[in-house]
Amino acid sequence: MWWGERKGGVAVFRRPAVRNDLEQVFRAAYPRVVAVAARVLGSRDEAEDVAQEVFLSFGRSSVPGDEALPWLSVAAAHAALNHLRTGRRRAGRENAAGNGETFSPDVADAVVALDERRRVRAALSRLPRKQAVALVLRHSGLSYAEVAAALDLSPASVGTTVRRAESALRKELNRHASSE
Amino acid sequence: MRHPSEGTLRRLVDEPDGVPDAARHHVLGCADCRAGLAAAESDADLAAHALHAEAGAHDIEAGTDVDAAWRRLSATTAAPGKFRRPGRKLRSPIVAGVAAAVVLAGAGAAAAADWLPIFRAERVTPVVVTPGDLVALPDLSAYGTVELTKPARVRAVDGPAAATEATGLPVPQVGKLPRGVTGSPSYRVGDRAVATFTFQAAKAARTAVAAGKPLPPPPAGMDGSQFRLTAGPGLAAIWAEGHGVPAMVVARVAAPVVYSTGIPFETARDYLLSLPGLPESVATQLRGTAALPLIVKGASETTATVDVNGVPATVLALKDGTMAGVVWVDGGYLTGVAGSISADEAVGVARGLRWSR
Repeated sequence: MWWGERKGGVAVFRRPAVRNDLEQVFRAAYPRVVAVAARVLGSRDEAEDVAQEVFLSFGRSSVPGDEALPWLSVAAAHAALNHLRTGRRRAGRENAAGNGETFSPDVADAVVALDERRRVRAALSRLPRKQAVALVLRHSGLSYAEVAAALDLSPASVGTTVRRAESALRKELNRHASSE
Repeated sequence: MRHPSEGTLRRLVDEPDGVPDAARHHVLGCADCRAGLAAAESDADLAAHALHAEAGAHDIEAGTDVDAAWRRLSATTAAPGKFRRPGRKLRSPIVAGVAAAVVLAGAGAAAAADWLPIFRAERVTPVVVTPGDLVALPDLSAYGTVELTKPARVRAVDGPAAATEATGLPVPQVGKLPRGVTGSPSYRVGDRAVATFTFQAAKAARTAVAAGKPLPPPPAGMDGSQFRLTAGPGLAAIWAEGHGVPAMVVARVAAPVVYSTGIPFETARDYLLSLPGLPESVATQLRGTAALPLIVKGASETTATVDVNGVPATVLALKDGTMAGVVWVDGGYLTGVAGSISADEAVGVARGLRWSR
């Protein structure tokens, strides 16, 4: 697909709608992007849906290639957290969980796993957004320096943000457990 | 020495090499800090369990079918007119953090006749935030829906003529380049971007409850009201340095405008600023201003006001001296000069700019 204007029969400027390095970046980063989203969503199917959205955005962006991975990681965390907040596809997600995606051999385990997912999702959706993103990125294997660069924080405040997120996550999970 | 911060204790849990020796030694000999470290470890373990257990993450990463996923993406990108996901949210990592503040002070555009311009950025005001504020800064989506209805499509163009052709804006001519900035610039352009924010009282109430406070009653007509925000078109001349870091950028963008279907800007702004969730220190600075806020991180950046050929301009500089910029609004355009240069150099370039078509 091309866009641009013609003047005197000459294309003044034109550019493909999709960036040229999309496939290369996709192949290198797709598993990581799915994994980041899955840490939030707890479902591979839904994480793969989110990854598609994230790469569509990336394909239209002018993010420099060498900054692609941190950008994609942050975008995956945000997009997955958005899915939680809107509660979209919850039914689909929970059906998928019942289709063996939990790797649980028996029904009781599956029920427990599903309940835990639900509690973790609810807790994550209640954390301040920046804390939730920092938490997910750190637990997806990004270093403190990478999280700092991705979120425009100092490495020192990454520790503080992640610490607060983990403390808040514990409180949220406890609150849920005690209210049930 | 002082007790290490909770963030330092947290880093000791899983990246101890990043913690100074002095802090490590202190923790070894300090019962309070050892207790803090143990608590951090316990919470970190719980979080790791929660996130990994729920994701089955390693299995997922190892088990993805990249080829199939690529075919799926290719099918979407190849289909004419389908290369946009439904309901694109204004949520790039960069945009999300500043969206709240930008919209509070107003940004945006409208085409329909029933949209009245309610805010036009006429100057820039620095808003000083602490790192804590920045973390707490809510996203507009906490109060309603934000949709990027027309993206800016920022892209490279072949030269100054193409930049002007794409945007209708003149390109900057720099009189004297600062030391270390050499060669000819490359050009990037962006179209006018349009976003729509719809205020939803029910959603705002949920956010307020999460912050532990009731939602202040919305002004008449506020619930469901829409604000259309535009900015752009714009262009930038970029002098490159190695490593993908620009040595200097000179950019001009049609300044943000906010349109509303009826609610006056002041009413919307003052109400949004009264909502629980926004740090009070930030709200205080935004209250009563009709200028475009420029987020300044008080811990690492400084600001000053200077005069650029008769127009007040804001200088922003990193305290470590590695980057500086100056920005001002004149005649409906937001213009900035920034880079790995000193504040004096940025102001010097700003004062010497000429614009040619």
